[in-house]
Amino acid sequence: MQIHEWMVGYTRQTEWIDRRGIFLWIAFYAGGLGGGLYLVSLYFNSLWGLFISWLIITVIKGGTHLIFLGKPLRFWRIITRPHASWLARGFVFVMLFIGFGAIQLILSYWLPGTAAETAFKVLAGIMAFGITLYTGIILMNVKGVPFWNSALLPILFIACGILGGFGLAVVIALNGGDVDLHTAETGSRWLLVINALLIIIYLWRASLREAVGKQSVLEQIHGHSAPIFWIGIVLLGIVIPLVIAIAGIIMDVPSALLVSGVACEIIGGLALRYCVLKAGAYKPLVAKAS
Amino acid sequence: MRWGMVVDLSKCVRCYACLAACRIEHFLPIGMSWPRLVALETGVDNPEVSTYSVRCNQCQNPPCVDVCPTGATYQREDGIVAIDQDKCVGCRYCVIACPYQNRTFLSKDKDKGFFPGKVETDFEKAGKELYSHQLGTTEKCNFCAERIDAGLAKGLKPGVDREATPACVNTCPARALTFGDLDDPDSEVSRLIREKNAFQLHPEYDTDPSVYFIDSKIGYTDTPPADDKEKRAPVASGAES
Repeated sequence: MQIHEWMVGYTRQTEWIDRRGIFLWIAFYAGGLGGGLYLVSLYFNSLWGLFISWLIITVIKGGTHLIFLGKPLRFWRIITRPHASWLARGFVFVMLFIGFGAIQLILSYWLPGTAAETAFKVLAGIMAFGITLYTGIILMNVKGVPFWNSALLPILFIACGILGGFGLAVVIALNGGDVDLHTAETGSRWLLVINALLIIIYLWRASLREAVGKQSVLEQIHGHSAPIFWIGIVLLGIVIPLVIAIAGIIMDVPSALLVSGVACEIIGGLALRYCVLKAGAYKPLVAKAS
Repeated sequence: MRWGMVVDLSKCVRCYACLAACRIEHFLPIGMSWPRLVALETGVDNPEVSTYSVRCNQCQNPPCVDVCPTGATYQREDGIVAIDQDKCVGCRYCVIACPYQNRTFLSKDKDKGFFPGKVETDFEKAGKELYSHQLGTTEKCNFCAERIDAGLAKGLKPGVDREATPACVNTCPARALTFGDLDDPDSEVSRLIREKNAFQLHPEYDTDPSVYFIDSKIGYTDTPPADDKEKRAPVASGAES
């Protein structure tokens, strides 16, 4: 029998990113993106945006999360304990969003401007915000992974989701949808800057959070996750969209380039979730005595 | 009543008998082990291999119970943290939340069979009838709760009577494992904790594990034990220094 060497060094969490964990990664990001798009679409009162965000959360977020579960047919058990667990609350947010969102879409299409439509927009909006919020809180509450123990994490995930929402709003506007392109572009620019700052502050704070927190940050910057961090988050997620966004201020940017920038933002958002999940490491179970 | 265990690391001979006994007792699939042995070197000039026999700590403030979205993981009155496999949805939040990494998600690759595609052993056949494991759910050590319950029903005393004592404790040839009631100041576990400065792993998590360790090197402190309630408080930790 092999001697177990594990747990005397830093141990990376694997269940929520490796193998089937990939589905959870996609589910977490799709939840943030869908929720962010819904909130942005409420601002623009864009029926297309509301519909697309509903599809993202119902099909991609809900579907991938169900596939991830070991016993997906028992998913209904999760929504019975929202008082106990943020995962249960998240599932409740998703289920209620699917219901409220569907009613709101029907009302917006056939009975726009009614009080009922407004009420369901508010209800679905609250659920959408909950969906963007809860994944960060889930990770923040894991005691054994110092890299995640930060109140900044839910804020970062919300900002990332809303950034993606503004990006998709730009695409809707370019395709003749009911979104003001100039406002969507301005929102994207601000969110890009805010996201970049949040990522820098988050990594800086995490590096000061015990030795294992620093290890997680080093893993991202220098370790196996470095290509995804530098290419995915920094280059595709921040630098390229920011260059395109700044260029948009001083000159007319072709639509194809704007769409490419949005695609980069989404890849960057995916890369951010991936790196955060991948770099989550536990303290050694026992200390190596000197 | 709160069941607990003391692991005397200075006595452990790394024979893996505790792992084997647990596998036999619970018909564990080949890819999963509830207890584990963690080996590490200590000392620089004259390095020695030390061993930690670890298992679910049956924490009194268990993070796994707090995060379980279905109530599948729950805490019994005797302190044992148990799992209702029929309620578990396999979300793995408990696996992530356990700071000691003592939970295992039973996936297909961990239950391929002892001789995959060739023969199903009698042991495996018996296991399916006597102690079935559900793929797609989470498992962990339960201090052999079924032995404890059956023993108590017969009027036996866990930790004293073998029939009511966890299999790993019974089988340990070096007597490195001791089991008993932590709430009973006269129990063997309470005496060991008091007299040998036993410590818990990572007390800074505030989980209050029910598994204590005794070691002459790692985590040892010369600090004399305090009185009363403080006697069971961690006097040193396995946390990184």
